[in-house]
Amino acid sequence: MRKKSLIDIIEHFQNDPDIQKQIMKWHTIEPKEAMYAPIPDSVHPGLVEALNQKGIGRLYTHQEEAYNSVMQGKSVTAITPTASGKTLCYNLPVVQKIIENPSARALYLFPTKALAQDQKTELNEWLDLADASITCYTYDGDTPATIRQKVRRAGQIVITNPDMLHSAILPHHTKWVSLFENLEFIVLDELHIYRGVFGSHVANVIRRLKRICEFYGSSPQFICTSATIANPKELAEKLTGKEMKLIDQNGAPSAKKHFVFYNPPIVNQQLNIRRSATLEVRKLAGALLKHKIQTIVFAKSRVRVEIILSYLQELVKNELGSKSIRGYRGGYLPTQRREIEKGLRNGDVYGVVSTNALELGVDIGQLQACIMTGYPGTIASAWQQAGRAGRRQGEALIIMVASSSPLDQYIIKHPEYFLENSPETARINPDNLVILLDHLKCAAFELPFTIDEKFGEYELEELLDYLVEERVLHRTADKWHWMNDAFPAHNISLRSASQENVIIIDQTERAHHQVIGEMDRFSAMTLLHDEAIYLHQGTQFQVEFLDWEEKKAYVREVDIDYFTDANLAVSLTVLEEDLSNQNDRAAVSYGDVSVRAMATIFKKIKFDTHENIGSGPIHLPEEELHTSAAWFTLKDELKNLTEDRIEQGLIGFAHAMQSIIPLHVMCDPKDIQLVPQVKSTHSQLPTLFVYDRYPGGIGLSEKVYQIGATIMKEVLQMIESCPCPHGCPSCIGTDPYSNSAKDDTIELISLFTNALEGE
Amino acid sequence: MSLKNKLNRMKPHLSGKNLEKEELKRPDTKIEAQRQIPYLDLWQDNNVTVYWSDQEYCLIREVRFPLSFWQGKYQLGDCINAVEAWNKSSYSHPLSSKGHSVEDLFFFDTETTGLRGVGSTIFMLGYARFTAEEVIVRQHILTQPGFEVPLYMSFLENVDYSTLVTYNGKSFDWPQVKSRHTLIREHVPKLPETGHFDLYHASRRLWKHKMKSVKLTEVERHILEFERSDDLPGYLAPAIFFDFIERNHPEGMLKVLDHNEKDILSLISLYTHLTFQLLGQDKLQTSSESLEAGKWYRYTGDFEASSTHINEAYTKDPLNSKAVHALAFELKRNGSLTRAVELWLKVTENGEPREKREAALELAKVYEHKLKDYAQAVYYANMALKCAEDDYAFRKSSKEILRKQTEHRIQRLSRKYKAEY
Repeated sequence: MRKKSLIDIIEHFQNDPDIQKQIMKWHTIEPKEAMYAPIPDSVHPGLVEALNQKGIGRLYTHQEEAYNSVMQGKSVTAITPTASGKTLCYNLPVVQKIIENPSARALYLFPTKALAQDQKTELNEWLDLADASITCYTYDGDTPATIRQKVRRAGQIVITNPDMLHSAILPHHTKWVSLFENLEFIVLDELHIYRGVFGSHVANVIRRLKRICEFYGSSPQFICTSATIANPKELAEKLTGKEMKLIDQNGAPSAKKHFVFYNPPIVNQQLNIRRSATLEVRKLAGALLKHKIQTIVFAKSRVRVEIILSYLQELVKNELGSKSIRGYRGGYLPTQRREIEKGLRNGDVYGVVSTNALELGVDIGQLQACIMTGYPGTIASAWQQAGRAGRRQGEALIIMVASSSPLDQYIIKHPEYFLENSPETARINPDNLVILLDHLKCAAFELPFTIDEKFGEYELEELLDYLVEERVLHRTADKWHWMNDAFPAHNISLRSASQENVIIIDQTERAHHQVIGEMDRFSAMTLLHDEAIYLHQGTQFQVEFLDWEEKKAYVREVDIDYFTDANLAVSLTVLEEDLSNQNDRAAVSYGDVSVRAMATIFKKIKFDTHENIGSGPIHLPEEELHTSAAWFTLKDELKNLTEDRIEQGLIGFAHAMQSIIPLHVMCDPKDIQLVPQVKSTHSQLPTLFVYDRYPGGIGLSEKVYQIGATIMKEVLQMIESCPCPHGCPSCIGTDPYSNSAKDDTIELISLFTNALEGE
Repeated sequence: MSLKNKLNRMKPHLSGKNLEKEELKRPDTKIEAQRQIPYLDLWQDNNVTVYWSDQEYCLIREVRFPLSFWQGKYQLGDCINAVEAWNKSSYSHPLSSKGHSVEDLFFFDTETTGLRGVGSTIFMLGYARFTAEEVIVRQHILTQPGFEVPLYMSFLENVDYSTLVTYNGKSFDWPQVKSRHTLIREHVPKLPETGHFDLYHASRRLWKHKMKSVKLTEVERHILEFERSDDLPGYLAPAIFFDFIERNHPEGMLKVLDHNEKDILSLISLYTHLTFQLLGQDKLQTSSESLEAGKWYRYTGDFEASSTHINEAYTKDPLNSKAVHALAFELKRNGSLTRAVELWLKVTENGEPREKREAALELAKVYEHKLKDYAQAVYYANMALKCAEDDYAFRKSSKEILRKQTEHRIQRLSRKYKAEY
């Protein structure tokens, strides 16, 4: 077989009629030339020499701009697509400053441990070349106890993550005196990750950090880098509370890119079922890997990664050693990951199948092709993944293979939505009361509050007095002191939606129980009830006992041929309406709601056939969630529709909305939840509720309230353009009861949009 | 919606569960800085004096004990003999007070509002010191949050010491002192550098095998033969302090003082007892205590002392398979292989699964490399494997490693065996 080049394959894809048929759009992005600037004169000769040795004789313009701005004392946020040399944006000024003043300190925050490790390795290599004696350490759960003290006392650059800062560094700040007294720089890499609940927490951790710095008399500058999002400056300012200089003119070059939108063929015309995206990816990736084109395949879940990996390894086992195609996801050991990253850089690994773990700035060099199994959920994320392909010389091929989900089908039919829109806005709400109060406790634990302090937008005195009533703080004349025997950071996780998580304990080995994961309470009700089958890293576990009081689920490894699916009965009531916009036909409102959920029964469902082979009750107490919600109410009389048909319409509407909303508010689909009510408890009218799945809300439903009409129009268009006759998984959901479901949904949404626009 | 309403609505999501349960009926009074010291007469009745610094104050209790005072099975004065014994001994050990006199020792314990982190406040600093005639116990008491300057000021002025003796003070009390001190370091003298004898680590080494918990009260009961009567459980101390800063009544705090005092006096007896154990001067020392002492010396590098104690352990009880096992290693190290093999053979008969496994493995090595008896070596390698399989406490992953190594060993042995015949 003659080995084809990427160009040959691109040509083949363009000309093969079978493949051509499935390509909805072939978009070409022209290459971009690099923009350079000389290395500034003030940079220490040793550093210049080290850069030269790495083949860097001049800087990209954005690197130079970052350096100069930081040296002028500004806080900056730089927009840095994949492989644009972002690390120099912070490393160059930080190292230069430390050379000038060796007592200066810098704190680097990365969202994951793996990124921190990478960064340390890269930075140390560079420092060695420069012959600069600057100490740089990572500080995380893996740092051996023996060197922790050294890191705290002598680390000039300390690299860690927000979780560690929150639970290990700030609550023990007295052990870090030399860091906090001399802290000049705080680096926030991958800024765009800090959004939603996680971002809101991190913003508060940074408020605490700044408070501690102030106590020790330092006032650090911030240097942030971010992938392309709509509002980097706003996000950075909200997170850090500092005015930012935005650096968004990127000087890095990029290769010519082919962006291909691929929709799998329809295999069942009647039900509008398409061939599975996984199988199409296997075919396309196989075609590339056969010719040793270095390719990265993204999949959305860990299980999906393993499945695609096994397909691809099978497909090319005769041409390539099986070590040359690898998986990459959370749950792999660090050494394993390092080995894979290295293999990718030096070319030993041709193919890698990954979750979004590789979206982040892990250095794997540049690959030639990228295949996405399904739309990754956000424009920003898709560009991040696409950025993995594109070597300086030559061209890059990026294929997005759509799944049958409504969101994917929408994107594949409207590629212009993706190509022409600016990426999403990253939203945080640091003043969410639940989150804010959690961090107020931590902050009070770290230092007593004085009467004239600021922390967030609320009146501090009222909040602190509330905590006095709760017997957490003690008020003296002018101060609030922590007066409780708890360690508050311990119960607060930055990454999960509810404060108290259920810990998952594997008791397969009698003498050595181990914690293998955790899950928020709401999800645990349906996924970790007694007898549930829980999947973890491709292994099946059965829940033997869920200790709801103690929030522990005891599981044991099993090997059986079914999974479980639980029913959650949800009821929702409106507590208070804060905002409303209405006319005589429809209304959109926003306010506080109470959601009660109760798990009722579960079914056992056989793999492959999906038969129901048994069921059982779930005995768990009702859970209540107070949060914010937006809701749409139809006041028009629906003469021609029976209650059944209204209900179906609303269910279809909810299903379609669920997939489109995340597009507009930049959130994970599971951060929001929808509840349709044919006769809502508060108005007796057909209503669709959209609520934030976090106590107190994080601003998602508020956004839905503002742009509801726009979202609805898009939903309507998506359903109308779906080729199925009576509704399918790609538009209004999986099991329509009747042939009228699709029409009813369309009618209902039309009523809404007409009513809301009709004035 | 008003903030107050929101707070109330969010309540289920906000308050931790332990807070909800414990709705004590404590009066909701805000304390103003008070000139008048509440219940001063009651304090004074209990040997407490007031220490002022600016507008803030702390309380100091001082009590003196004669050297003849019994704390468990020792008199306080026995500690003087213990320090002398170290000074005469040639053993080197982390607990050795060689070069010190008993007056240098500073028996120290704190009471705190929490277990870790900057926010855990120390509200009592207690210590005991020897003078020529007696033992003085002094306790410094925080009187309200924020009044830490007089607390540390009085503590640091009053003391002159070189070596702390604590129970888990190395990783808890002293770091906590450092941490709280850092917060007010501009207003108080510097903390001195000190030596440190941590008796918790010592107790763990010597008794963790025979005691479920080596909490100080347990050590008192089982080792020092001292039973506390009417003692406040230590975990209640934070709650009592929280109550004290609201009501100011000394009642509960007096109980905490008493508890703290007992802790400190027990440190003296415990140091005496540990010394006699480590120097082999306790006639009642058991075989397993001698063994653990021996192992500790080995760990710290005093092989002579180690050997003495392990031999002692074996002499005291030749059926103690742990002692037999340890002695076998000791003999192997000294080149007495034949004796070592004899002892290990005994261990494979009546040892615990873990010792059995290690003994079998040692025998396999000796038979392979020294005695060149490959059939025996295979036999013991297999025995080691069997012991590992039967041992539930043995980690699955370590088991896997052992299995691989042993399989490898057996293959090698059968190659050697075949080569010979």
